[in-house]
Amino acid sequence: MTENQTETGSNAAESASGSLDIGGLAGVFGTSDHKNIGRLYIFFGLSGGLLALILNILVRFERINIGSVGVLDFGSSNQFFQTWSLSRTTLLFFCVLPLLIGLASYIVPLQVGAPSLSFPRAAALAFWAWAIGIMIHVVTVFADGGLGEPDPMSQFAQGMDPEATELSMLSIAMVVFALLLGTVCVLATIISQRPQGMTLFELPLFSWSMLIAGGIWVLALPVWLSNLAVSWVDFQGADALRYGAVENIWEQLSWLWSQPMIFAFAIPVLGIAGDVLPVSLGVPQRKYRVQQIAIGAMGALSFGAFAQPFFNPDVANQAVFVVMGILIVLPILVFLGGLVDTSLRGNLSISAHLILSVVGVLALLVAAVASAFHVSGPAVGGIQEINDSWLDGLVSWLRDVQGTVLATAVMEHVLIASVIGIIAGLYYWSPKIFGYQLNRNVGILSALTLLGGLALSGGSNIINGILDEGDEVYHPSAYEGVWDTNAVEFFNTVGAIGSLLLLAGIGVVILDLTISVILRKGNDENAKDPWGGHTLEWATDSPPPTGNFTDAPVVDNERPLLFPAATGGDEQ
Amino acid sequence: MNMATTNLPAAPPARSRNLLVSVGFGIAAVLMYFGGLFGVYLRERSQVRSVGGSWIPDKAHIELTPPGMIIWTLLISVAVMQWAVYSIKRDDRQHALLAVGTTLAMGAMVLVQHGWQLSQMNLVADEGPTTAATLIYTIVGSYMVAFIIGMIFVALMGFRALAGQYSSRQTDGIVAASLYWYSLVFIYFIIWIAVFIAK
Repeated sequence: MTENQTETGSNAAESASGSLDIGGLAGVFGTSDHKNIGRLYIFFGLSGGLLALILNILVRFERINIGSVGVLDFGSSNQFFQTWSLSRTTLLFFCVLPLLIGLASYIVPLQVGAPSLSFPRAAALAFWAWAIGIMIHVVTVFADGGLGEPDPMSQFAQGMDPEATELSMLSIAMVVFALLLGTVCVLATIISQRPQGMTLFELPLFSWSMLIAGGIWVLALPVWLSNLAVSWVDFQGADALRYGAVENIWEQLSWLWSQPMIFAFAIPVLGIAGDVLPVSLGVPQRKYRVQQIAIGAMGALSFGAFAQPFFNPDVANQAVFVVMGILIVLPILVFLGGLVDTSLRGNLSISAHLILSVVGVLALLVAAVASAFHVSGPAVGGIQEINDSWLDGLVSWLRDVQGTVLATAVMEHVLIASVIGIIAGLYYWSPKIFGYQLNRNVGILSALTLLGGLALSGGSNIINGILDEGDEVYHPSAYEGVWDTNAVEFFNTVGAIGSLLLLAGIGVVILDLTISVILRKGNDENAKDPWGGHTLEWATDSPPPTGNFTDAPVVDNERPLLFPAATGGDEQ
Repeated sequence: MNMATTNLPAAPPARSRNLLVSVGFGIAAVLMYFGGLFGVYLRERSQVRSVGGSWIPDKAHIELTPPGMIIWTLLISVAVMQWAVYSIKRDDRQHALLAVGTTLAMGAMVLVQHGWQLSQMNLVADEGPTTAATLIYTIVGSYMVAFIIGMIFVALMGFRALAGQYSSRQTDGIVAASLYWYSLVFIYFIIWIAVFIAK
């Protein structure tokens, strides 16, 4: 069997067009079909989102009473830190990345006209390794493991279980390795399985964004793994010297959740919006190449493996870091401009996926603007007194804002923007993935809930950043420079309510999936192409049969269903 | 129009380069992994030296003979691995397999030399653990893992060639294995310079 062969015996169950029969337990556990793998990622990824947000709510409730053991009384600083760090690792590794890889595993082969994902068995291995790894990681963190603790000498410290900690490190390494393997399968599909006539510049925008994002992940995540390896080796010693010391482990790994690297995990949000919006408007995307360049620029500006404060404490003052943090706004603005330009020429048809994708891009824009403020302290460092109290205050604030919870606000906006974009993709491609449309009104409700939740949760962190609440975890210094303790506590309460709304937003989506797909209450009429799609995935049945396409597609532009081959695309 | 021309069958679709593309991404990931380790190593070493500290413990024995032997073994293995590629492109399976076998034998020698060096370095035993020891063991240990993966990859592609899967019409497996092997040699070259020569 070569690496291109698609189906094993257990996958034959889906050979009938339009059937959602995944072949029972054998189809779940023995599958190497990209469609089943994609669905499994989506199911587990949404569950991971729930866990991440529950942990986030606990963290926010603790911060309601700052500077002391909070209302939930975690009991020890390491238990709080375990919850805090697990909320971040699960949001990225248990929710955002697997959802993106799952959506890409399902949709990318269809968009590029391929019969399957490249290396389908490796993709299956990647999924199961990821699923087992993340479960081990969560269990070990609850068993007093985790990725370090903030201050082992603190009166609140309780000590960690070294064996559980070691297993936490190994399991998260397994998770990242598996996600990298899954990413490589998607990338190889994009590059080597395109049909005749489809150049890289004629890729649908979601596939293009996955190519850019996946490329950045493949370059950056191994560097993170190397940090983890150094920590693990040092942790093995009887007395960890530096890298494996519990108070240093997270410090070495935290750059993945910081600017500019965090933006690499939201690049596909642009691709999803770029595929969804023109279809909703019934017109081709304007300035297609410009949109592709904007996505590429965002990829280039989000490569952050160099920005490791643990090894380079001065990185936040270095020009490259500051310039990247400020410029990240530009590609998002350009992309948004392209969407607006297109929407002016079409007939707007309101749908859940349209609203969700626009909300996702706007959330990303807010994150980029917050990022620009957060990093611009060194850029204004040389400015002398302006003799304008408001401007002087702004400059002074920009100098001090680094290290506040504004960094958390950026991370939260980016990752939640990613989740919203992915949900937009789920609503858009649900007929293709499940054979049923998800409920439009529920989708709009979910979009509004997520928007409200992000505004309260992320917005409160932005305001608390302005109020100088520090980003240190469970450390009195986090609250030393706070302007107004009561205000910070109030906005942390608001943030906790926002996190509850975010949880409700994802819960609504899971409920809709359960009712529309699992209970088969959704609309399955015109499931093949209910939106009048422009790209190849809509040229086959929903869900697609074995091998995806009856005949190998031939294309010569990026919108093959709008402009069939040999008729050419529109003028750029 | 000439009928003979119109009746020609369509050209076969371009061959998928899945394996080569994936190995390209894999090599990029491995290079970035070691790039991260080298960055940390060089940064930490310069920090220690900038305050007048000694990076390598005084009683450690980092001799240059084993790494010198390893780098020469690896450089020769590059030529041997390229011989495998050259042979498979000419349907000379016998010499291709001979070259793959020789490469694997050289790989085994490299592992033995690594093991011997690690047992001799005495980085930890006398003076207790140091940050230098942590980083050197991480780099060399990671390299040995990547190297063993490379040997398995070369062996697997050799078995596939033995089974007739690779020939002048389809050389991807052997070429992909050779590219990964060359990247390993490149990485060791950096280890040789940065860790052992400039210790």
